[in-house]
Amino acid sequence: MSHEVFTQLVDAHYAPLYRFALSLAKNQADAGDLVQQTFFIWATKGHSLRDEGKAKSWLFTTLYREFLRGRRRDARLTSVEDLPPGESDLPAEEVDRVRRMDGALVLEALQEVDEVFRAPLTLFYLEELSYIEIAESLDVPVGTVMSRLSRGKAQLRAALAKHEAAGPAKVISFPDFRQQKQP
Amino acid sequence: MNNNEAKFLLWAYRPGGRDADDPAFAGALAQARQDPALGAWFAREQAFDTVVAAQLGSIAPPPGLREAILTGASVSRAPHEARRWPVWLALAASVVFLLGASALWRMRSAREMDPLTAFAMADARTETPLYRGEATNNLHRALEDPATRLASLSIDYPTLRATGCHTLSLAGHDVLQICFQRGGTWFHLYMVQRADFPEIAARDEPHIMKHDGWSAMAWADPQHMYVVATSADPAALRALL
Repeated sequence: MSHEVFTQLVDAHYAPLYRFALSLAKNQADAGDLVQQTFFIWATKGHSLRDEGKAKSWLFTTLYREFLRGRRRDARLTSVEDLPPGESDLPAEEVDRVRRMDGALVLEALQEVDEVFRAPLTLFYLEELSYIEIAESLDVPVGTVMSRLSRGKAQLRAALAKHEAAGPAKVISFPDFRQQKQP
Repeated sequence: MNNNEAKFLLWAYRPGGRDADDPAFAGALAQARQDPALGAWFAREQAFDTVVAAQLGSIAPPPGLREAILTGASVSRAPHEARRWPVWLALAASVVFLLGASALWRMRSAREMDPLTAFAMADARTETPLYRGEATNNLHRALEDPATRLASLSIDYPTLRATGCHTLSLAGHDVLQICFQRGGTWFHLYMVQRADFPEIAARDEPHIMKHDGWSAMAWADPQHMYVVATSADPAALRALL
């Protein structure tokens, strides 16, 4: 892959990948590391992917696997699967309430969603992948993705309501990667 | 399909209509259009999802991340000096066998390529790395020397791998790559340890394959297998021997 093509790939995907990483890792430094590591793996291995059209899915899948590799699953991940389905009816005023919030507050709320739901939910809201591609990226059945989306949205709404009640979002400072060492 | 089943599907319907052509949603969407209660629920869900998606999308990556990615990748895998070849196309070609006077030359279809040769021919089209390390630079100089005969090439694989020869991965094993020019023609040499690829039948005699305008030559010594690929004619490969 030429430098130009690689740059195009980075430009097309690094921002949504970072948002996905940020929702998973919950801090900017780790999220940035995850994105860098993902493209590093692409640069050393991913270029051999035969179907270049699947590069986007490959990148999200690799980032998620790198995240999982970086920490052990805890038992809670399985127990939360047993929660009952979330509240299905969305109050009309909730949309306006969320519209008044800013991105940082929405992200904070998203980060409070249980990880097992957070990963598919973030991928859904990034709008980069279909539910089938999300299932492939997370290596779960399609039905599981749909189920986790419904539960994840319920948790997100609860977290958003809690954050709005708590007041304005705190300012999140982003790290400056210009001073970091390269892999 | 009842409304609860329709909701279950529609929770996965992305805002903005990206999934409008997905037949899996057709039934649920039709039901939402016909059932006012379900339609109102779906409209609220889509409005909520649209707002959340927009706010998530408003989060900007930190300054310098893009540059860090590009620089970090270039350390591992150096960019082309210039893009010279088209993307790899599907492997399919006719089978031609050539017999030479001093060696057996075979031009085989891509379908008959071993995984290493197919990998080499695909990768050769995509990139030319920079080199680092004394051993790699020495090998590079030797390869560009017209007096060097590739059939008698001897390499120190561990040293090359440890001192900066460009390393790729195939089936979980390292593939060393070095690119060189002779007479203005680019060649891309790939080297592996035979023990890493026991499923590939090593060819002690050079074999030449041609497909889709590209040529490759494969051979082996007791410890290593080699493939050299080029966009030039097979005659250019024979000249390397």
